[in-house]
Amino acid sequence: MTLRILLNRVKTDTLLKKNMTKFIKKEDLYKLLNSFLKDFEIIGPKQIANKGIFYEPLESIEDLYLGELFAIEPAKKFFLESSECLFHSGFLDGKATVQDAPLPDKRRIIIGLRPCEAKGLILLDKVFDSEYKDRSYINNREKSVIVGLACAKPDKSCFCTSMDGSPTGSRGMDVLLFAVEDGFIVEIYSDKGKEAFSSLGKEPDEHQNKTLSAYKQKRSELIGKNFKVPGDLSPIFESDYWDKVSFPCLSCGVCTYLCPTCHCFELVDEGRKMYRCNDGCAFSNFTLEASGWNPRPTKKERYRQRVFHKFDYFKKIFGENLCVGCGRCIRHCPVKMDISEIVSNAPSGAGK
Amino acid sequence: MIEELRNKARELLKTKQVEAVIGYQRASDGLSAIPCVIRSEEEAGRLIWDAACVYNLCGYLKDFRAKKLGIVAKACDVRAMIVLISENQLNRDDVFIIGMECCGVVDEKRARVSGRDGSDISSADKCKSCASCVPLAYDCLIKEKREKAKVSEDADKDKYEPVRKLEAKSLSEKSKSWKDEFKRCIRCYACRQVCPMCYCPRCVADQFMPVWFSKAGGIEGNFSWNVARAMHLAGRCIDCGECERACPVGIPLRDINRKIEKDIKELFGYEAGMKTDAKPFLACFDKNDPEDFIK
Amino acid sequence: METKNIYLPRLAEITDIKQETPDIKTFKLKLSLVYKPGQFVEFSVFGEGEAPFCISNSPTRGPGIECSVKMTGKVTQALHELNIGDTVGIRGPYGNGFPVENLKNKNILFVAGGIGLAPLRSLINYCLDRREDFKSITIVNGARSSNDLVYKDEYPIWEKAKDTRLYLTVDCQEDNWSCMVGVVPRILEQIKPVCQDSVAIVCGPPIMIKYTMPVLLKLGFCPEAIMTTLEMKMKCGMGKCGRCNIGPLYICKDGPVFSYAQVKNYVS
Repeated sequence: MTLRILLNRVKTDTLLKKNMTKFIKKEDLYKLLNSFLKDFEIIGPKQIANKGIFYEPLESIEDLYLGELFAIEPAKKFFLESSECLFHSGFLDGKATVQDAPLPDKRRIIIGLRPCEAKGLILLDKVFDSEYKDRSYINNREKSVIVGLACAKPDKSCFCTSMDGSPTGSRGMDVLLFAVEDGFIVEIYSDKGKEAFSSLGKEPDEHQNKTLSAYKQKRSELIGKNFKVPGDLSPIFESDYWDKVSFPCLSCGVCTYLCPTCHCFELVDEGRKMYRCNDGCAFSNFTLEASGWNPRPTKKERYRQRVFHKFDYFKKIFGENLCVGCGRCIRHCPVKMDISEIVSNAPSGAGK
Repeated sequence: MIEELRNKARELLKTKQVEAVIGYQRASDGLSAIPCVIRSEEEAGRLIWDAACVYNLCGYLKDFRAKKLGIVAKACDVRAMIVLISENQLNRDDVFIIGMECCGVVDEKRARVSGRDGSDISSADKCKSCASCVPLAYDCLIKEKREKAKVSEDADKDKYEPVRKLEAKSLSEKSKSWKDEFKRCIRCYACRQVCPMCYCPRCVADQFMPVWFSKAGGIEGNFSWNVARAMHLAGRCIDCGECERACPVGIPLRDINRKIEKDIKELFGYEAGMKTDAKPFLACFDKNDPEDFIK
Repeated sequence: METKNIYLPRLAEITDIKQETPDIKTFKLKLSLVYKPGQFVEFSVFGEGEAPFCISNSPTRGPGIECSVKMTGKVTQALHELNIGDTVGIRGPYGNGFPVENLKNKNILFVAGGIGLAPLRSLINYCLDRREDFKSITIVNGARSSNDLVYKDEYPIWEKAKDTRLYLTVDCQEDNWSCMVGVVPRILEQIKPVCQDSVAIVCGPPIMIKYTMPVLLKLGFCPEAIMTTLEMKMKCGMGKCGRCNIGPLYICKDGPVFSYAQVKNYVS
């Protein structure tokens, strides 16, 4: 098989005019992935004892976990790395110099991404591949093939359908796998996906096509949470509602760091290398200035910032919520705060 | 038991013995608990009590300095308060402790990573080595009506067994295994924020002149952060296990803390938060100290 | 095609350093840069980190840029230790800058507190260099004490300029001080600047802005005619890092210059 497209740098969103559908047996999928190990880094979910599911570069395809459980950290960390070198500074012949950090070149296949996470990447594109283009993010995007996995059993904290998503959504995917009896139905959406998967499997038969459409319908119905985000939150910016709902917040970074769309960062100069490192609006020192002044001094302002950034500001700038409803911030919040409940119960109008 | 708790809260608020009661209410999933603050008698009906009430609520006392508060507390939560009082972080007269007799809380963490709701999962590990259902100090005690003694069943079991296993490893094994663990650390500081003993107004990790634990580059910053936190908890950690529970990436933080706890117990016979009149262990000076560097 | 590295700074040599006050220095850099008054740059002291500073000289007075830096934190302290001939990194210019076209044929009231004069100095000198484009110019400049006043050598020049008034004030009376005494909002109440055909441009510490705004409104300035340049911990300068969000706006990208009408709901 030639990998003309995959080994060249292409944008993810060169979509096919018409989706292709295939059926592939589980062992054939694993065989295919094994054959890719030579040219690609393969990243996928892996079950780690006592810890849960984590996306990791796989040394063996046998470690790949394509079950129901959700990965704890989103695959965001492979695109917007938690600490990424941007440039080096130094001296050459007594003169100061600066130099771009080298960009890793290895192509990779990221498998097992859920539809919500892939959609999260589309939202991150709006920030990092827009007016000011972040080259390492774009490099990470361009060198990746995204092979998603449709959700078989949504978690009770999932709310993707309220965020215009779906457990079987294709946005941001090159390929999407649907786990069915004895194998996977594979939907192929992009050139990249076509090149990687078209040589394998066969056209699905009538029964399998029926299974697929039933699968798509049923999975959306399994999402328990359904709500509508208020169109404009700004009238309640000053409401004491934020005081009330932010009370349990510990000001830790679990919700922001595990969010597939949160992208706040800081720039850290460490040993003459400038890094872009994760940061989050929940931390008290995020906006603390050297003068001692803090525009967001308490958890009320900080929690409100998180809600407003996701469900008001971002929507006003880019037309959609900065949230994909993956439920991670609810599942993993150390005190079980529920952003979906907080947003759906927000008072309307400027009242208390 | 829940009605008794709610009535107590109503009474405290009505008689103005407290300005508010910090307790638990039901979370949105209908199973878990979420911390809440009750300011009026009408709200008291929100209070709940069951095995889902895992959190240690002492940390929220900081939000209400110099006000008289009621707090719903298990035995381990009260241990934390005893340390806070001994470190002058809490005035005993400012809190009304509604002591809850406790038969153990759910293993919220295990439930979360295995995608279950917790009802079919046994008590948290910390409860298995907990010797007492009843808090060491309280202003009123709400008794468990169910069958008791479930907690102490395994209490005789060597609680330091996992620590001994760690100690038996070679230095290079230990180094490798902790490096593998800390590699996962995402520096969300959930361990610190959830810890009742982490009350520094400005944590050493938040200082930037100099930056002590860099987030950039390799795992050195992660390593030193986690070790520094463990050291700062020496003789203070009451093994409530909240850090390990809150850690989203599953670092076994209790193992480090218990190693230090065990050393201090064996060397000095001291356990944090087990005596209401004990002085902070590392803040005391003994004239008969065998070490001469301090004299 | 390889994307350009938006974080990579340009190198700039420090050509002059002036001690303005005990903790404020003005750095002059050799760098050709096209910018507007009110824009800012990210300074990089290699090995220490980055910090944002507004450009304090007017683009009409190039070549090179000037930035005034108050020593408050890690980067500013490192910057204060640098000497003439040392090299720093510069990214930018960022931000919208002052809408100079909209200010033409207007009376302009400048209100500055402490180092808040830095971005205004860029615009003041710009206006003075194109004096015929603007009507009267009033400058109210306050500081905690006379030692904290910046750009002192320029005051005589500003005072002498055509149809220009300069009011200097310090918070408390001092020996040998002959100008005004009192905080900036009180001085504004005293001098009652004209509000017709006027624009007020305010920059200073948050507390000064908070108390100045109601006074200006009372004097008859409408919220659209009050401009302020806001500062927050701007890290990236490109509307990404999330620190300087104020409402749906990013101070670094949509600001730092805003009309009071734009931000009044979010400045509390």
